[in-house]
Amino acid sequence: MEQPDATIHQPVRLKIMAALKPLPPGEMLEFMRLKTIAGATEGNLGAHITTLENAGYVNVEKDFAAKRPRTRVALSKAGRRAFEDYVAYLRDIIDETPSSERTKP
Amino acid sequence: MAPISPTEAADTLRNIETAERHSSVAYGYRMTAPHLILWGVIWFIGYGGTWLRPDLGYVWPVLASIGAIGSFAIGYGMAPKAGQRDYRHVLIFFAVFAFIAAQLAILKPINNMQIGAYFPILVAFYYALLGIWIRGTRLLLLGIATSVLTLAAYFWMPQYFLPWMAIVGGSALLLGGLWLRRA
Repeated sequence: MEQPDATIHQPVRLKIMAALKPLPPGEMLEFMRLKTIAGATEGNLGAHITTLENAGYVNVEKDFAAKRPRTRVALSKAGRRAFEDYVAYLRDIIDETPSSERTKP
Repeated sequence: MAPISPTEAADTLRNIETAERHSSVAYGYRMTAPHLILWGVIWFIGYGGTWLRPDLGYVWPVLASIGAIGSFAIGYGMAPKAGQRDYRHVLIFFAVFAFIAAQLAILKPINNMQIGAYFPILVAFYYALLGIWIRGTRLLLLGIATSVLTLAAYFWMPQYFLPWMAIVGGSALLLGGLWLRRA
Protein backbone atom coordinates (compact mmCIF):
# COMPACT_ATOMS: atom_id res chain seq x y z
CA MET A 1 0.00 0.00 0.00
CA GLU A 2 1.57 3.27 -1.14
CA GLN A 3 -0.86 5.53 0.69
CA PRO A 4 -2.98 4.88 3.78
CA ASP A 5 -6.65 4.18 3.12
CA ALA A 6 -8.14 7.69 3.39
CA THR A 7 -11.50 6.33 4.57
CA ILE A 8 -9.96 4.59 7.57
CA HIS A 9 -7.20 7.13 8.20
CA GLN A 10 -9.32 9.40 10.38
CA PRO A 11 -9.29 9.15 14.21
CA VAL A 12 -13.00 8.46 14.80
CA ARG A 13 -13.40 6.11 11.85
CA LEU A 14 -10.25 4.31 12.91
CA LYS A 15 -11.69 3.77 16.40
CA ILE A 16 -14.96 2.54 14.91
CA MET A 17 -13.12 -0.01 12.77
CA ALA A 18 -10.86 -1.05 15.66
CA ALA A 19 -13.85 -1.51 17.97
CA LEU A 20 -15.66 -3.68 15.43
CA LYS A 21 -12.62 -5.78 14.48
CA PRO A 22 -12.49 -8.09 17.57
CA LEU A 23 -16.17 -9.06 17.29
CA PRO A 24 -16.93 -12.50 15.84
CA PRO A 25 -18.31 -12.53 12.28
CA GLY A 26 -22.01 -11.62 12.27
CA GLU A 27 -21.83 -9.95 15.69
CA MET A 28 -22.94 -6.32 15.78
CA LEU A 29 -22.10 -3.46 18.10
CA GLU A 30 -24.77 -1.08 19.29
CA PHE A 31 -24.44 2.57 18.40
CA MET A 32 -24.31 3.73 22.02
CA ARG A 33 -21.50 1.32 22.90
CA LEU A 34 -19.62 2.46 19.83
CA LYS A 35 -20.14 6.05 20.92
CA THR A 36 -18.47 5.29 24.28
CA ILE A 37 -15.51 3.55 22.66
CA ALA A 38 -15.04 6.14 19.91
CA GLY A 39 -15.52 9.05 22.32
CA ALA A 40 -17.56 10.92 19.72
CA THR A 41 -20.83 12.83 19.77
CA GLU A 42 -23.89 11.09 18.31
CA GLY A 43 -24.00 13.33 15.25
CA ASN A 44 -20.29 12.98 14.57
CA LEU A 45 -20.38 9.22 15.03
CA GLY A 46 -23.42 8.89 12.77
CA ALA A 47 -21.68 10.84 10.00
CA HIS A 48 -18.54 8.70 10.20
CA ILE A 49 -20.56 5.48 10.21
CA THR A 50 -22.33 6.67 7.05
CA THR A 51 -18.95 7.34 5.42
CA LEU A 52 -17.79 3.82 6.30
CA GLU A 53 -21.09 2.34 5.14
CA ASN A 54 -20.85 4.16 1.80
CA ALA A 55 -17.33 2.75 1.38
CA GLY A 56 -18.74 -0.74 1.99
CA TYR A 57 -16.65 -1.19 5.15
CA VAL A 58 -19.49 -1.60 7.64
CA ASN A 59 -23.02 -2.98 7.60
CA VAL A 60 -25.65 -1.00 9.49
CA GLU A 61 -28.91 -2.44 10.82
CA LYS A 62 -31.69 -0.31 12.25
CA ASP A 63 -34.51 -1.92 14.20
CA PHE A 64 -36.48 -1.65 17.44
CA ALA A 65 -35.53 -3.30 20.74
CA ALA A 66 -37.98 -2.99 23.64
CA LYS A 67 -39.93 -0.45 21.56
CA ARG A 68 -36.87 1.81 21.24
CA PRO A 69 -35.00 2.47 18.02
CA ARG A 70 -31.69 0.69 17.83
CA THR A 71 -28.78 1.05 15.42
CA ARG A 72 -26.19 -1.69 15.20
CA VAL A 73 -23.00 -1.80 13.20
CA ALA A 74 -20.77 -4.66 12.04
CA LEU A 75 -17.60 -4.86 10.02
CA SER A 76 -18.11 -6.14 6.46
CA LYS A 77 -15.67 -8.56 4.82
CA ALA A 78 -14.29 -5.71 2.71
CA GLY A 79 -13.96 -3.56 5.85
CA ARG A 80 -12.09 -6.28 7.73
CA ARG A 81 -9.70 -6.71 4.83
CA ALA A 82 -9.18 -2.96 4.44
CA PHE A 83 -8.55 -2.55 8.15
CA GLU A 84 -6.03 -5.41 8.20
CA ASP A 85 -4.25 -3.85 5.22
CA TYR A 86 -4.19 -0.49 7.01
CA VAL A 87 -2.69 -2.03 10.17
CA ALA A 88 -0.12 -3.88 8.04
CA TYR A 89 0.73 -0.57 6.35
CA LEU A 90 1.37 1.06 9.75
CA ARG A 91 3.50 -1.90 10.87
CA ASP A 92 5.54 -1.67 7.69
CA ILE A 93 6.30 2.00 8.42
CA ILE A 94 7.55 1.09 11.90
CA ASP A 95 9.45 -2.00 10.77
CA GLU A 96 11.29 -0.02 8.10
CA THR A 97 12.40 2.58 10.67
CA PRO A 98 15.31 2.03 13.04
CA SER A 99 13.98 1.99 16.62
CA SER A 100 16.24 4.95 17.56
CA GLU A 101 14.37 7.18 15.10
CA ARG A 102 10.84 6.28 16.25
CA THR A 103 10.96 8.35 19.40
CA LYS A 104 12.27 11.48 17.70
CA PRO A 105 9.70 14.30 17.68
CA MET B 1 -2.21 12.88 1.71
CA ALA B 2 0.90 13.55 3.81
CA PRO B 3 2.97 10.45 4.55
CA ILE B 4 2.66 8.96 8.02
CA SER B 5 5.73 9.28 10.23
CA PRO B 6 6.93 6.27 12.24
CA THR B 7 5.94 8.03 15.48
CA GLU B 8 2.47 8.71 14.16
CA ALA B 9 2.19 5.09 12.98
CA ALA B 10 3.19 3.81 16.43
CA ASP B 11 0.68 6.13 18.14
CA THR B 12 -2.07 5.05 15.77
CA LEU B 13 -1.34 1.37 16.42
CA ARG B 14 -1.53 2.05 20.17
CA ASN B 15 -4.91 3.76 19.70
CA ILE B 16 -6.12 0.80 17.65
CA GLU B 17 -4.98 -1.64 20.34
CA THR B 18 -6.77 0.38 23.04
CA ALA B 19 -10.04 0.49 21.09
CA GLU B 20 -9.83 -3.23 20.27
CA ARG B 21 -9.19 -4.14 23.91
CA HIS B 22 -12.03 -1.90 25.11
CA SER B 23 -14.40 -3.52 22.63
CA SER B 24 -13.24 -7.08 23.46
CA VAL B 25 -13.72 -6.56 27.19
CA ALA B 26 -17.16 -4.99 26.68
CA TYR B 27 -18.13 -7.94 24.46
CA GLY B 28 -16.94 -10.41 27.11
CA TYR B 29 -18.95 -8.56 29.75
CA ARG B 30 -22.04 -8.53 27.55
CA MET B 31 -21.78 -12.29 27.02
CA THR B 32 -21.23 -13.02 30.73
CA ALA B 33 -23.78 -10.65 32.31
CA PRO B 34 -26.96 -12.71 31.66
CA HIS B 35 -25.34 -15.81 33.20
CA LEU B 36 -24.46 -13.87 36.36
CA ILE B 37 -28.00 -12.51 36.64
CA LEU B 38 -29.51 -15.98 36.15
CA TRP B 39 -27.25 -17.60 38.75
CA GLY B 40 -27.78 -14.71 41.18
CA VAL B 41 -31.50 -15.47 41.11
CA ILE B 42 -30.82 -19.21 41.48
CA TRP B 43 -28.56 -18.65 44.50
CA PHE B 44 -31.17 -16.41 46.06
CA ILE B 45 -33.91 -19.04 45.65
CA GLY B 46 -31.68 -22.03 46.47
CA TYR B 47 -29.88 -20.74 49.56
CA GLY B 48 -32.92 -18.79 50.73
CA GLY B 49 -35.20 -21.79 50.23
CA THR B 50 -32.97 -24.22 52.12
CA TRP B 51 -32.52 -21.65 54.88
CA LEU B 52 -36.28 -21.22 55.36
CA ARG B 53 -37.10 -24.88 54.73
CA PRO B 54 -34.07 -27.16 55.41
CA ASP B 55 -36.17 -30.17 54.38
CA LEU B 56 -36.22 -28.78 50.80
CA GLY B 57 -32.63 -29.85 50.13
CA TYR B 58 -33.71 -31.56 46.91
CA VAL B 59 -34.44 -28.12 45.46
CA TRP B 60 -30.74 -27.67 44.60
CA PRO B 61 -30.46 -30.40 41.92
CA VAL B 62 -33.61 -28.97 40.33
CA LEU B 63 -32.28 -25.39 40.43
CA ALA B 64 -28.83 -26.45 39.20
CA SER B 65 -30.47 -28.22 36.24
CA ILE B 66 -32.57 -25.13 35.48
CA GLY B 67 -29.42 -23.01 35.71
CA ALA B 68 -27.43 -25.31 33.41
CA ILE B 69 -30.23 -25.44 30.82
CA GLY B 70 -30.72 -21.67 31.14
CA SER B 71 -27.01 -21.02 30.67
CA PHE B 72 -26.97 -23.22 27.56
CA ALA B 73 -30.01 -21.39 26.19
CA ILE B 74 -28.40 -17.99 26.87
CA GLY B 75 -25.12 -19.10 25.30
CA TYR B 76 -26.91 -20.51 22.26
CA GLY B 77 -29.07 -17.41 21.86
CA MET B 78 -26.12 -15.03 22.15
CA ALA B 79 -23.77 -16.98 19.88
CA PRO B 80 -22.76 -15.14 16.71
CA LYS B 81 -25.35 -15.63 13.98
CA ALA B 82 -22.77 -16.01 11.23
CA GLY B 83 -19.68 -18.13 10.98
CA GLN B 84 -19.06 -21.54 12.45
CA ARG B 85 -20.48 -22.27 15.89
CA ASP B 86 -17.90 -23.05 18.52
CA TYR B 87 -18.89 -26.07 20.59
CA ARG B 88 -15.75 -26.10 22.74
CA HIS B 89 -17.66 -24.56 25.65
CA VAL B 90 -19.98 -27.62 25.65
CA LEU B 91 -16.95 -29.91 25.92
CA ILE B 92 -15.49 -27.70 28.65
CA PHE B 93 -18.79 -27.93 30.56
CA PHE B 94 -18.68 -31.74 30.51
CA ALA B 95 -14.98 -31.78 31.45
CA VAL B 96 -15.65 -29.48 34.42
CA PHE B 97 -18.69 -31.55 35.43
CA ALA B 98 -16.60 -34.76 35.40
CA PHE B 99 -13.83 -33.02 37.34
CA ILE B 100 -16.25 -31.81 40.03
CA ALA B 101 -17.87 -35.25 40.32
CA ALA B 102 -14.44 -36.88 40.72
CA GLN B 103 -13.30 -34.25 43.20
CA LEU B 104 -16.39 -34.63 45.39
CA ALA B 105 -16.09 -38.44 45.23
CA ILE B 106 -12.48 -38.25 46.43
CA LEU B 107 -12.78 -35.47 49.03
CA LYS B 108 -16.23 -36.51 50.29
CA PRO B 109 -17.60 -33.34 51.88
CA ILE B 110 -19.25 -34.20 55.20
CA ASN B 111 -21.87 -31.48 55.37
CA ASN B 112 -24.09 -29.36 53.14
CA MET B 113 -22.29 -26.14 54.05
CA GLN B 114 -19.06 -27.45 52.55
CA ILE B 115 -20.85 -28.15 49.26
CA GLY B 116 -22.70 -24.86 49.59
CA ALA B 117 -19.37 -23.01 49.80
CA TYR B 118 -17.52 -25.13 47.26
CA PHE B 119 -19.63 -24.27 44.21
CA PRO B 120 -19.62 -20.48 44.74
CA ILE B 121 -15.84 -20.54 45.09
CA LEU B 122 -15.54 -22.60 41.92
CA VAL B 123 -17.77 -20.13 40.05
CA ALA B 124 -15.82 -17.19 41.51
CA PHE B 125 -12.55 -18.82 40.43
CA TYR B 126 -13.89 -19.17 36.90
CA TYR B 127 -14.94 -15.49 36.77
CA ALA B 128 -11.57 -14.39 38.14
CA LEU B 129 -9.73 -16.45 35.49
CA LEU B 130 -12.00 -15.12 32.76
CA GLY B 131 -11.42 -11.57 34.04
CA ILE B 132 -7.65 -12.05 33.93
CA TRP B 133 -7.86 -13.63 30.47
CA ILE B 134 -9.94 -10.89 28.81
CA ARG B 135 -8.32 -8.16 30.97
CA GLY B 136 -11.72 -7.40 32.43
CA THR B 137 -11.19 -5.69 35.76
CA ARG B 138 -14.89 -5.80 36.64
CA LEU B 139 -15.08 -9.57 36.16
CA LEU B 140 -11.91 -10.12 38.17
CA LEU B 141 -13.27 -7.95 41.00
CA LEU B 142 -16.54 -9.89 40.94
CA GLY B 143 -14.65 -13.18 41.21
CA ILE B 144 -12.60 -11.92 44.13
CA ALA B 145 -15.64 -10.40 45.89
CA THR B 146 -17.68 -13.59 45.54
CA SER B 147 -14.81 -15.69 46.94
CA VAL B 148 -14.23 -13.35 49.87
CA LEU B 149 -17.95 -13.13 50.70
CA THR B 150 -18.31 -16.92 50.57
CA LEU B 151 -15.20 -17.61 52.69
CA ALA B 152 -16.18 -14.92 55.20
CA ALA B 153 -19.55 -16.57 55.74
CA TYR B 154 -18.08 -20.09 55.83
CA PHE B 155 -15.36 -19.40 58.39
CA TRP B 156 -16.69 -16.52 60.47
CA MET B 157 -20.48 -16.70 60.26
CA PRO B 158 -21.35 -20.37 59.77
CA GLN B 159 -24.67 -19.92 61.60
CA TYR B 160 -25.72 -17.33 59.00
CA PHE B 161 -24.20 -19.10 55.99
CA LEU B 162 -27.44 -19.83 54.11
CA PRO B 163 -29.13 -16.42 54.47
CA TRP B 164 -25.79 -14.71 53.79
CA MET B 165 -25.28 -16.65 50.58
CA ALA B 166 -28.89 -16.05 49.53
CA ILE B 167 -28.92 -12.31 50.14
CA VAL B 168 -25.29 -11.20 49.85
CA GLY B 169 -24.03 -13.87 47.42
CA GLY B 170 -27.14 -13.78 45.24
CA SER B 171 -27.16 -9.99 45.19
CA ALA B 172 -23.44 -9.88 44.37
CA LEU B 173 -24.01 -11.99 41.25
CA LEU B 174 -27.21 -10.19 40.27
CA LEU B 175 -25.81 -6.69 40.72
CA GLY B 176 -22.52 -7.81 39.21
CA GLY B 177 -24.37 -8.97 36.10
CA LEU B 178 -26.16 -5.63 35.82
CA TRP B 179 -22.84 -3.84 36.36
CA LEU B 180 -21.22 -5.80 33.53
CA ARG B 181 -24.17 -5.15 31.24
CA ARG B 182 -23.74 -1.41 31.66
CA ALA B 183 -20.02 -1.50 30.88
